[in-house]
Amino acid sequence: MQEFGYERPDCIEAAVGLMREGDTRALAGGTDLIPQMREGRRSVGRIVDLKHVPDLIAVFELPGGGLSIGAAASATIIARHARIAADYPAIAASVRLIGSVQVQSRASLGGNVCNAAPSADGVPALICHRARARIAGPDGAREVELEELFTGPGRTTLAPGEILTAIVLPPVLPRSAAHYLRFTPRREMDIAIAGSGVWIRLDEQGAIAEARIALASVGPTPIRAETAERKLVGERPSRALLEEAGRLAAGDARPISDTRGSADYRRSLVSVLTARALAQCCRSIGVEVDAP
Amino acid sequence: MKALIRCTVNDEEHVVLADPRDSLLELLRDRLGLTGTKEGCSNGNCGTCTVLVDGAPVNACLMLAAEAQGHEVVTVESLSEGTKLHPIQQALVEYGGTQCGFCTPGIVMSAKALLDANPRPTEDEIRHAIAGNLCRCTGYDKIVAAIAAVAATEGE
Amino acid sequence: MTVLPGGGNEKKELWIVGKRVPRVDGRERVTGKAIYPADLNLPGMVHAKILRSPHAHARIRRIDTSRATALKGVVAVVTAADFVDLPIGATVTMGDAGYDVWVVAHTNMARETVHWVGQPVAAVAAVDVHTAEAALKLIEVEYEPLPPVVDLAEAMAPDAPVLHSNVVTKGVEPAPRSPSNVCSRTVIERGDTAAAIERATAIGEAHARIDTAHQGYLEPQVVVAQVDPNGFATVWASTQGQFTAELMLARILGLPQSKIRVVPLEVGGAFGGKIALHGEAAAVRLAEKCGQPVKLVLTREEVLQGGSGPAAGALIDIRVGADREGQLTAIEGTYRVDAGGLPGMSPSLIMQASAALYQCPNLKLEGYDVVTNKPRTEAYRGPGGIQAAFAMEQALDVLCQRLDLDPLEFRKRNAAVTGSLMPIGTPFPTIGLTTILEEVGQHPCWTDPLPAGKHPRGRGLALGYWRGTSMTSAAHITIAGDGRPMVTMGPVDISGTRTAMAQVVAEEFGLSVEDVHVSTGDSKSAGYSDIAAGSRVARTTTAALVEASADALRQLRMRAAEKLQASPEDLDYAGGVFRTRKPGGAAISLAELMQATLGEGAIVGRGVSTRLPLGVEIGAHVCDVEVDPGTGQTTVLRYTAFQDVGCALNPPAIEGQMQGSVAQGLGWALTEGFDYAPDGRLRNASLLDYRIPTALDVPPIDCVLIETPVPGVPYGVRGVGEVPIVPVAGAVANAVARAIGVRVWHMPMTPERVLRAIRGGVLD
Repeated sequence: MQEFGYERPDCIEAAVGLMREGDTRALAGGTDLIPQMREGRRSVGRIVDLKHVPDLIAVFELPGGGLSIGAAASATIIARHARIAADYPAIAASVRLIGSVQVQSRASLGGNVCNAAPSADGVPALICHRARARIAGPDGAREVELEELFTGPGRTTLAPGEILTAIVLPPVLPRSAAHYLRFTPRREMDIAIAGSGVWIRLDEQGAIAEARIALASVGPTPIRAETAERKLVGERPSRALLEEAGRLAAGDARPISDTRGSADYRRSLVSVLTARALAQCCRSIGVEVDAP
Repeated sequence: MKALIRCTVNDEEHVVLADPRDSLLELLRDRLGLTGTKEGCSNGNCGTCTVLVDGAPVNACLMLAAEAQGHEVVTVESLSEGTKLHPIQQALVEYGGTQCGFCTPGIVMSAKALLDANPRPTEDEIRHAIAGNLCRCTGYDKIVAAIAAVAATEGE
Repeated sequence: MTVLPGGGNEKKELWIVGKRVPRVDGRERVTGKAIYPADLNLPGMVHAKILRSPHAHARIRRIDTSRATALKGVVAVVTAADFVDLPIGATVTMGDAGYDVWVVAHTNMARETVHWVGQPVAAVAAVDVHTAEAALKLIEVEYEPLPPVVDLAEAMAPDAPVLHSNVVTKGVEPAPRSPSNVCSRTVIERGDTAAAIERATAIGEAHARIDTAHQGYLEPQVVVAQVDPNGFATVWASTQGQFTAELMLARILGLPQSKIRVVPLEVGGAFGGKIALHGEAAAVRLAEKCGQPVKLVLTREEVLQGGSGPAAGALIDIRVGADREGQLTAIEGTYRVDAGGLPGMSPSLIMQASAALYQCPNLKLEGYDVVTNKPRTEAYRGPGGIQAAFAMEQALDVLCQRLDLDPLEFRKRNAAVTGSLMPIGTPFPTIGLTTILEEVGQHPCWTDPLPAGKHPRGRGLALGYWRGTSMTSAAHITIAGDGRPMVTMGPVDISGTRTAMAQVVAEEFGLSVEDVHVSTGDSKSAGYSDIAAGSRVARTTTAALVEASADALRQLRMRAAEKLQASPEDLDYAGGVFRTRKPGGAAISLAELMQATLGEGAIVGRGVSTRLPLGVEIGAHVCDVEVDPGTGQTTVLRYTAFQDVGCALNPPAIEGQMQGSVAQGLGWALTEGFDYAPDGRLRNASLLDYRIPTALDVPPIDCVLIETPVPGVPYGVRGVGEVPIVPVAGAVANAVARAIGVRVWHMPMTPERVLRAIRGGVLD
């Protein structure tokens, strides 16, 4: 491993100051960054450990019912947080899929986002919930739609010197639910060959008023399955509809073939995972729909 | 540039000079001589190096030594007192939950983290808690039985 | 429990053999106190790293180590030039055939040509690992890349690039004139197989493709080597055989055996993968050059990416024929085995393993040992057995489906029995396959109806055979001053040997397990013993220790007789006490005896086992699976393993061997396979993408132990450690096929492969 410097600021301003130098990388859980450095896949001159900034590891309730999750809060903290477990169960469940129990003790949702792996299990449920990314940088703070952060594998729109400080969740809406399903050959300790996060809201008549579908591992970034989303809106849930949405989502996917799976297999998985996740959402809202 | 790291390991305060590149695993094994924690992959993929940091199970290979500053680390060495084994260790011996023994210290620590948080786990919860610890010898059956036996007696 | 003791004549109640005894070395393991080579640190120790080939096939034009040597902190550098250039075919002692040390020399350091990605080309020792790593980057190697041949079938094509210009196919008449990647052809034949296939009422066939897999031990290879000023080398290693390691080191380093001592420390899993050398020779030469102890620790990536030998992939085609009554009439098989970059993976054992358990008059088995530009393969638990059974047990299952026969009933009709002919033409020694099949038929795992589930389910049955070996083991017992037996054995403990041997010696002495201390000696303190492999250690070491115990007790009896003023034959011995036979007679305990006679000299009981009868291993496995038709994922719901163990020295240890074997087999059956790019680079060289099963992927595994003692072997002990991996993939495959109605011929049967099979080969 090449030599590098290590800094541990205790406030966001100091962290941003330290990030200005080129070749600097923010460290949250380190479960992606440390192996990347050890294997020489990422060259880093200095790392800035964010875990000693209290704001970055806390979960806040926002006025109006939303939540703010500190970017460096661990998966375990997030999964055990009462409000997240109650109102955003898809997020609590999806961080429980990251690596193993040991990895979850360290890994953060912010790191999962900033590492920008297309396979990140924590991300689709955030996109489904319309999460926003709060960013601090040399020019002050800004906030963007979380899904706009991603530009490619390992790449984000964060400018040099910027850090992700929090993930902001809007309040949950009545008659809505989200669910994330991923497929891995092993039950745990594995990387998604494909994943599908879905969110739907039903109107008073029981038709789908809004739908969001975010896919993992089937494109250079987490991607939305917009064709499938459009198909769902205005329809009443049925097995045929969910299967059709699955097929359309598979068409929206842009997978590659690699050692984990072929593009064709990934599309097949998107189809079945999307339909099953939609059925799970319907069930959470109290509408039983048979799933494939 | 090496830096001084102050942390608590097994209830004892240590001040250790470490290279920023050192992992917590290297700090424990090479600087403190605590070789009970084993290295199986150095990539967080096998759980062999599991230790507790502030009570939570972590892969010591996935943590920089520098990150241990100010934290409490517990390793397998602290569980037994002289020849008296911790109940988890005792059960693993009695139930045949250790064979080559290389994954065993990590399994012990994962089991401890589980039972500290959840004294009466189901079999599924036990399997989930050690899913991050690969074992190539036992097929896991006797490990699961050992942990369940501890839960059955200690959890009462 | 009652079993037949050695000789098989007299029945004897056993005192401690056969009891459920916790491992005698368990406490060290659970406390982290057991010492593996990585835990050893010596004063002044330096650290080694190996430079490995980035090419799968290339000629080495030039190696320049001068810049690395000049780097501050580097203390020694070695290349192939620092080792003996052994002649092709050089072997060291092992069993009847010897062990190919020329091959091991080339896994130590490539010479002139590299044959796989990860083959060593140089090694460096430096003050710390970081410096050693930096030095590797300063070694200049000029390669002339050659076309790689990675695929097994392609390597056999007549126009394939040839790996070894000296290899001409053996076993073909007349001998070919040009070199080939097919190193040998082996044929086992009897009767007229073609005619029998022609006449058969039904045919079952298999076209199996098995990916290369890895043993997956959790402890990467580590060695510490030190050479003293007299040139005497001590090597602390994680090895399955300290004596074999010593023999290999002596040849590769050009040192006399008397100048090398190999100390086997705890082995963190081996499964066949720690028989050869993986850096030990380089470490010794570096230590010799720099005069400091050297430690070499392989990384997990090195272990997977060419730094250690995986298990052979294979292409196996089988046809089996039967008559209307379900009597097997023909077995025809072609076995193409992927040896990796160096020759020497004999297909003979695979061929035997696949056909041995069935009585069949017509047999034609043809095997090929083929080289490819992949890591040289090594042994893995019953080497070739699981591959063979994956093909054969499916071919038989297909046959049963075509004949509409119950697979258990079919096997009962055709099962080998004591005295029936093995494929190689010799009669089977005492075996209990019939008993195993009876037990299967009565067990709930077979009689319970398969419960319905959310997805399609199936139940599979498969049998497994493993021949095992015996070779030689030595042990000696000294009697401590307190009268307790102290055992030093030659074989390395990789499976709980110390515990089982403590039971054997406790039984022989009438003492408790706590009274006996057992350790493995190093290559200078124990008697020559072969490797811990081939399911031979418990059997042969038991034999050696029965002999050593008798030898020690005979010496003790002489002394006791003298002390008790009686003739030796008038003494009774039981529970550690010699007693004169007359009522109220005098007695002396071993403790009293030794305290009184220590000064008369040591008591050393010696035992050596050679050419012990084989402990043929047979098992039957039943498993239930559920297959998700949406994802192709197979979930193993229930698993039961039946095995004839001869005599269960320590039942929980055997269950542990069986359960561990099944878990390994499930891994290869479903998720573990090496994925090589066309250029020979392994794409899944991590424990993330090389998917060893976790606790959530393995169901509870029930074990049924059956005891048919082996005549002529003390306690009737049979081999146990290898056969339980053999039937696993076949049992799972048969269950999957019965769940989804199609066969998945490519192992591992990954979810993608299963889904493709369900959808007729096309995913869209």
